[in-house]
Amino acid sequence: MIQQQRGEREWGANDGLALKNVSHGFDGTDVLDEITLTVEQGETVAIIGPSGTGKTTLLRLLALFYRPDTGTLEMDRTDVWTLSERERLNVRRRIGMVFQEANLFDTTVRRNVSYGQHIRRSWTNRLNHWLSRIGNEDTSQEVAEALDVVGLADAETQPATSLSGGEAQRVAFARALAYEPDFLLLDEPTSDLDPRNTAVIEDAIETARARGLGVAIATHDMNQAERVADRVAVMLEGRLIEFGPAERVFTNPDDPRARKFIDGELVY
Amino acid sequence: MIELVSSLVPIADSFTPFIVDFPFERNYVESIIYVSLYVSLTAVLISTLVSLPIAMLVGFSEFPGKGFVVALINTGMGFPSVVVGLVVLFTVSNEGPLGTFDLMFTTEAMIMSQFVLATPVITGVSLAAVSSIEDGVRDAAYAMGGTRLDVALVTIKEARYGIMTGILAGLGRAISEVGSVLIVGGNIASSDGTSVTRTLTTAIQLEARQGRFETALILGAILVTLVLLVNGIVLRLGGGRV
Repeated sequence: MIQQQRGEREWGANDGLALKNVSHGFDGTDVLDEITLTVEQGETVAIIGPSGTGKTTLLRLLALFYRPDTGTLEMDRTDVWTLSERERLNVRRRIGMVFQEANLFDTTVRRNVSYGQHIRRSWTNRLNHWLSRIGNEDTSQEVAEALDVVGLADAETQPATSLSGGEAQRVAFARALAYEPDFLLLDEPTSDLDPRNTAVIEDAIETARARGLGVAIATHDMNQAERVADRVAVMLEGRLIEFGPAERVFTNPDDPRARKFIDGELVY
Repeated sequence: MIELVSSLVPIADSFTPFIVDFPFERNYVESIIYVSLYVSLTAVLISTLVSLPIAMLVGFSEFPGKGFVVALINTGMGFPSVVVGLVVLFTVSNEGPLGTFDLMFTTEAMIMSQFVLATPVITGVSLAAVSSIEDGVRDAAYAMGGTRLDVALVTIKEARYGIMTGILAGLGRAISEVGSVLIVGGNIASSDGTSVTRTLTTAIQLEARQGRFETALILGAILVTLVLLVNGIVLRLGGGRV
């Protein structure tokens, strides 16, 4: 169990989302090897490492896209993959994910952002909600707040297709926030964005963390990891070679390969 | 439906004298239009309900023989309609598996044959449409906590314009079909001249064979107008993106 001090908090001792000794591969090729990593509520974990090192696979395992070949994925100390499908759905609904691409639906910004709430309604409530919308403005406090966090409060009625790439990614972020998950997984969310949109997303990450969400962000950008992370995990060739408080990992990592990667000397 | 068609006929009547003498018995054209629309729209509706799940299933899953299934669907788009008519005729004949239902020369048998013709078209075009939706859209729906059904519905919604095109193509195939409906329907009109199983296409074929080209041309114009009308409505509903 990884236990690190940051202020008065003992990281690694609390409930949260945890991969334990997880290995995973595709078509006979190993991608992740014996990964142990936790994300607790109220912290941001940055996952850094060269391209192709398994960061996306790790996040997709946390989001329950795949079942680990070996090892366990735990939510609040419960092995998620031993649960029934219904219970697993409830676990998934505590997690939000933003991808490298915005992947917005071809509808308005509001419909995109309210989608998470929409699918959490029963079919009867969906019908009632749909009927109540006829002739009335469809409003949701959570949708408005989520859009406000990413600075797009005025864009609710715009078609998603009319947005710029940066705006679309901000809507994707709001979409993951609006249904109030406990954990947020971000797969290089700013890799295609300009500095202004990047700053908005980083502020939104800080807002999410301050609200008590556990955030895991995969990023290439070392400066970004330093800016947003409480803890940093360094991955190399499918292994976690370093995991600890951001300040220690950036100033005094245990693993010499992590040192080289952080210093930009490890070229792939 | 018949009331709607009847209400349109006086309007058509007011225009036709300027073009040509309208050479039909009372209610003849209305009943043919009604049978054509009833048979084709019903067949396309059933085809759509069958085709969409197949397109989703084939589009989103990997299984041995998938290529063969796709090839089969694509081949189905070009099925010769007379062959389909023969197969349906055998199926509903006294010796066939559905012989006890007495469906020979009925609109139900015609719906069956049009269903067989329209289904591969709607399935094939819908399959192409749902396959073109990026994985990321489905991933986003799943990551937000969507069930399999939620993800499928999102995909259908994203592919709606392509699916609509498939349905229109299926309707085009069904309503313009003549060979199989002639075989299984029999092109029957009642003693008072109204259609029992006569459609616009079979009526055109009959009129042309009897040398009444003028009548056949008018029926042809009505058929083309109907198809244009349906396409226009769908185009309008799709916001001009179909």
